[in-house]
Amino acid sequence: MEPKQPKPPIASTLERLKNRYIVQAWLVLILTLCFGGTLAGVQLTLGPIIETNKLNETIQRVPELILGADQARKMEKQGRSLSVEPLSLGVEKHGRKVFYNVYDAKSNGERIGWVVKASGQGYADKIELLIGLDPPNEKITGLFILEQKETPGLGNKIAADYWRSQFINKNVRTPLVVIRGGVKPANGIDAITGATISSRTVTNIINTAVSDLKEPLSLHAASVSRAKDEP
Amino acid sequence: MADQPTSMERLIQGILPENPVYRQLLGLCPTLAVTSGMKAAITMSCAVAFVLLSANVIVSLIRNLLKPHLRIVIFTLTIATFVTIADRILAAYMYQMSKTLGPYVPLIIVNCIILCRCEVCASKQPLFTAVSDAVGQAAGFALALSSIAAVREILGTGMFFEIRVLPASWPDWVIMVLPPGAFLTLGLLLGAVNWMGSLHSKNKQGKEGGEKT
Amino acid sequence: MNYLLEILLIGIGAALINNFVLHYFVGICPFIGVSRQVVTAFGMGCAVTFVISIAAFLSWTVTTYILVPGAPLSSWIAEFFISAERASRIDLTILSYIVYIFAIASSVQFVEMYVRKFFPPLYQSFGVFLPLITTNCAILFACLLIMGHIVGVDNPEDVWDLGKSLTLAVFGGVGFTIAIVIMAGIREELDFCDIPGPFRGAAITLVVAGILAMAFMGFTGVDSGLKKVLTPSTVEKTINGDHLDHMKNN
Repeated sequence: MEPKQPKPPIASTLERLKNRYIVQAWLVLILTLCFGGTLAGVQLTLGPIIETNKLNETIQRVPELILGADQARKMEKQGRSLSVEPLSLGVEKHGRKVFYNVYDAKSNGERIGWVVKASGQGYADKIELLIGLDPPNEKITGLFILEQKETPGLGNKIAADYWRSQFINKNVRTPLVVIRGGVKPANGIDAITGATISSRTVTNIINTAVSDLKEPLSLHAASVSRAKDEP
Repeated sequence: MADQPTSMERLIQGILPENPVYRQLLGLCPTLAVTSGMKAAITMSCAVAFVLLSANVIVSLIRNLLKPHLRIVIFTLTIATFVTIADRILAAYMYQMSKTLGPYVPLIIVNCIILCRCEVCASKQPLFTAVSDAVGQAAGFALALSSIAAVREILGTGMFFEIRVLPASWPDWVIMVLPPGAFLTLGLLLGAVNWMGSLHSKNKQGKEGGEKT
Repeated sequence: MNYLLEILLIGIGAALINNFVLHYFVGICPFIGVSRQVVTAFGMGCAVTFVISIAAFLSWTVTTYILVPGAPLSSWIAEFFISAERASRIDLTILSYIVYIFAIASSVQFVEMYVRKFFPPLYQSFGVFLPLITTNCAILFACLLIMGHIVGVDNPEDVWDLGKSLTLAVFGGVGFTIAIVIMAGIREELDFCDIPGPFRGAAITLVVAGILAMAFMGFTGVDSGLKKVLTPSTVEKTINGDHLDHMKNN
């Protein structure tokens, strides 16, 4: 146990009160100031790094989603890079405005594709995807699962390469359909055995995002080219 | 008290005899939550070690200035600050791991291990003893987390540190990486440690009493 | 209608599907320590629910009005010192953990004073466990979940308001109560069983909790199923070609 502090000489009531509360809390106040300063320093130094991490999480994926993994690696080796412009496009749906994060990828000033971040309710929790699209918004060039909490061993196979590669080069002018065995139409996707709901969710998210963004993307493309033409 | 354990004893005690998870049953929340893989378990142990060490150092340095009724506030403030620092460092330099660990890094603030160590040891002992106590407890915590994570990862995915160790024909016991597997693994391992402890104390009693078990 | 549906899904999600104890592993210490009798377990569950709701209210208010970049109170104060444009970008979220833990400590103090004044015998029976609720992971976890839905959300429409945050908190506490009462009921029966020496106490509780967790895993997918049944839109269904949904809702 700590040695008992010797009692201060009893003066007026005011002094006794002062000794009890404010003086005793001086350590807390000093510590608060020190720790506050430390945290401010941490925020100033590490804050920008964390922001960059968050942004890079999606931007780093853009080349491989639009060009494919091999081309992207070749580009990286040659030291070239794409210019990626993040946009936020709003779509009016059922009376609410829904915002999509879209990344406009250009190489040497010419648009080579879009990457759309879309999400939806999966079997267990939210599923977040990155969809790579070609400039006229008609074919899927890549698919990446950013976040999913589906059942391990079943639903989480949506993140597997072999399942995602089905989506590449699929034409999205007609909505994609999930089938479980049997004849596969041109716009058909094979469901994962035992994880039909997860497979359907991913397909639904892609269909919804593509149909929602058809108009905004073409409007944006038109306005950008108009801005380029006007001197 | 004349019989306070020395620094060396504190360090060794923390690893198994007074293991924070298996013996004191403290800090069970991160133990169950982050042990689905070895990498996450090791990262969490390092974070807890950092916070435990820093908090013990600070509390030990100011131990003579602590007022009895304000000490919990000071402990909490110190621990919360260091947890914020640890969380930010993780988010800056190991972003993917930070996302995997998720909200369990800030939960170190209410981890009973650190509060308990500050209260029981650091607020009464000089700096070196407090540091060795922190190191011992952190090592014990790391041992506990790794043992559980090893069992869950190997049985659940056939991998260890994400390197395949079991043959591909092993049917992954997916339940082990899900919540029930965490509870079952911890329960069974706890039973095993209790059994080993009882054997050990029976042997000790047998030796001291001169009887054969 | 849409809002009520979201509240319902958040509530069911917090209480059953993503149960705080059996899915997120928070609140394990009282779950193992206090669950010997149903009566005490129920009392503990109610106390935790009470504290969680107060703490969630405090943390939501402080986060939305002071900590978030562009929050009204902090930018108003900062405007006295720096330009309005820079004041709106002040980001105080680094202080969130400290603020939350002190909000929780104050809620526990408040609940303790309330219980001591109005329910003295209950206060006696709780003993030391009431102040220990401060270190209950479940409460800080609820605050962190709510923060996750306010800070760093892409879509400004998805930021949680007070109703959703309180729903998560209250139903999280309800889920905790359900889990701890079930465990207490099982442990009351286990007292009559012949459990091997090393497993008595915490170990057998954890094994039983594992089996309980397996049972609760059966609730997965209830919220997405409910959402599909109760969602009033038909447009999305035509796009997605769901062959199973022939019902047309308004």
